[in-house]
Amino acid sequence: MEVFEIDAEKLTPREVNSQIKSAADEYDKIIIRNPNANHYLAAGVTEDVEIEFDGSVGYFGGCMCDGPKITINGNAGWFVGDNLTGGEVIVEGTAGDGAGQGIYDGTVVVKESVGSRTGEIMKNGTIIIGGNSGFMTGIFMMGGRIIILGDVGDDVAESIIRGVVYVRGKIKSLGNNAKIEEMTFEDSLEVEEILSKYEFEVDDISQFKKIVPESTRPFYGH
Amino acid sequence: MCGIAGIVYKDKELHNIGNDMTNMLHQLQHRGPDSAGYSIYGGTGLEENEYILKIQVKESEKLLDKVKHAINFITPIKQDAILPSVGDSFIYKCKISLDEFSQLKPLITKVDTIDDVIVINGSHDFEMIKDVGSVLDIADRYDVRDVKGTHAIGHTRFSTESGVDRYHAHPFQTYIVRDISVVHNGQITNYWKIRDPLERKGHVFETFNDTECLVHYIADKLATGYSLEEALEQSVEDMDGPFSYIIGTPQGIGIAKDKLGLRPGVMAETDDVFAIASEEVSLREVVDTRHVEQISPGEVMVYEI
Repeated sequence: MEVFEIDAEKLTPREVNSQIKSAADEYDKIIIRNPNANHYLAAGVTEDVEIEFDGSVGYFGGCMCDGPKITINGNAGWFVGDNLTGGEVIVEGTAGDGAGQGIYDGTVVVKESVGSRTGEIMKNGTIIIGGNSGFMTGIFMMGGRIIILGDVGDDVAESIIRGVVYVRGKIKSLGNNAKIEEMTFEDSLEVEEILSKYEFEVDDISQFKKIVPESTRPFYGH
Repeated sequence: MCGIAGIVYKDKELHNIGNDMTNMLHQLQHRGPDSAGYSIYGGTGLEENEYILKIQVKESEKLLDKVKHAINFITPIKQDAILPSVGDSFIYKCKISLDEFSQLKPLITKVDTIDDVIVINGSHDFEMIKDVGSVLDIADRYDVRDVKGTHAIGHTRFSTESGVDRYHAHPFQTYIVRDISVVHNGQITNYWKIRDPLERKGHVFETFNDTECLVHYIADKLATGYSLEEALEQSVEDMDGPFSYIIGTPQGIGIAKDKLGLRPGVMAETDDVFAIASEEVSLREVVDTRHVEQISPGEVMVYEI
């Protein structure tokens, strides 16, 4: 495996991203040292390459990507993986608000807890949160799935149109147009398969609650 | 946008906190390029009845004499210095004694009546430093890195509703309760609903800035027996709009965030330090950020020493 290393200590986000894009064609893996919680890192990468951050990233880490597998060995700020259309963004620590906001496809994984509005306006794809997720998780969700291993805050799946939110812990309250539905056998297989792929150990999948839209046309009638 | 930060050393000892806060705010410079400011607590070394005044004076012949005369008429100036600044004014800093804290606001009002003079700050237990320009320029201008203290709050300002000048830079303070100051990121959209009852109670507002309203609100609560945590919790109920703000008091700092969580706030803590900021990039200057906690919508956090 050909590995390219970037020391971001004295580079601007634009310079880091420029180096990532130059190296993405030639190398299998890019390691970024000293990302220092800066914003916009690894934005818009469309190559099938592994990217590893040796530390935290700031806002919009790994946003608008299509293809790379990004691992953040630290925390992420707001909107990690925003508008992802393919590939993976894996955060080993915590993340701020709007994790996986507006994703079209691909997977965003946060191993610990996140802030509010996780997966807002997501269209497809998968978001996994290893800890708790805050207020209005899944707001305006239009597809895809969110899996929360911890608790979830108020108004989960507010104004959801399509998609599903699985929650293992406590649900503080449901948002408008959200309802809890019985997990099917197929659902449990799907959740188990996704979680095992990302090395989450869950003893009993039946603990999960499934939240879906009450209506697919909540504003305009049937 | 604005950036806010706060730090407390848990051992209550003096630390190079001016340097720490400068580093924290420098990392938040992108959130606000217009002005920056600090409230640094615990290191003033003043006697119980002593106060520091910082007064913006326009470069003009004999104007400073007029200021000194106005102060000396009420209480003798014990010590003073001129701090050069930018623009057509400088900062006059002086030490005075007052029998009662309640005498401070009338004195400031008196000095403020002089044309081309604005009292920026009057305090006992904290040093307020604020000005237009970048964090590093301001830190150099006022030797902030040398200021010691036990805890501090700070701000980088992206102005929205009011002018860009030294007075409108954060922190803001009140003279209702001694040594309360605030830094704020956001807007209080029910500003008049909060301000009106406070004015009827006798609070004097100097600006139309919503941050000034916040510090009056909290001071009012503290003056009527609320703890800082209770005051912050009540503010989350009473204030509308997107906000996160940090209050500094002689005992510590506290943060409150609006119920929709529309402004950021993160916290990290070790055995030695409690730190809060708009972004992790700021926290990592002073504390191990392997575990960063997101401050939730409507959440309040207080650390007092």
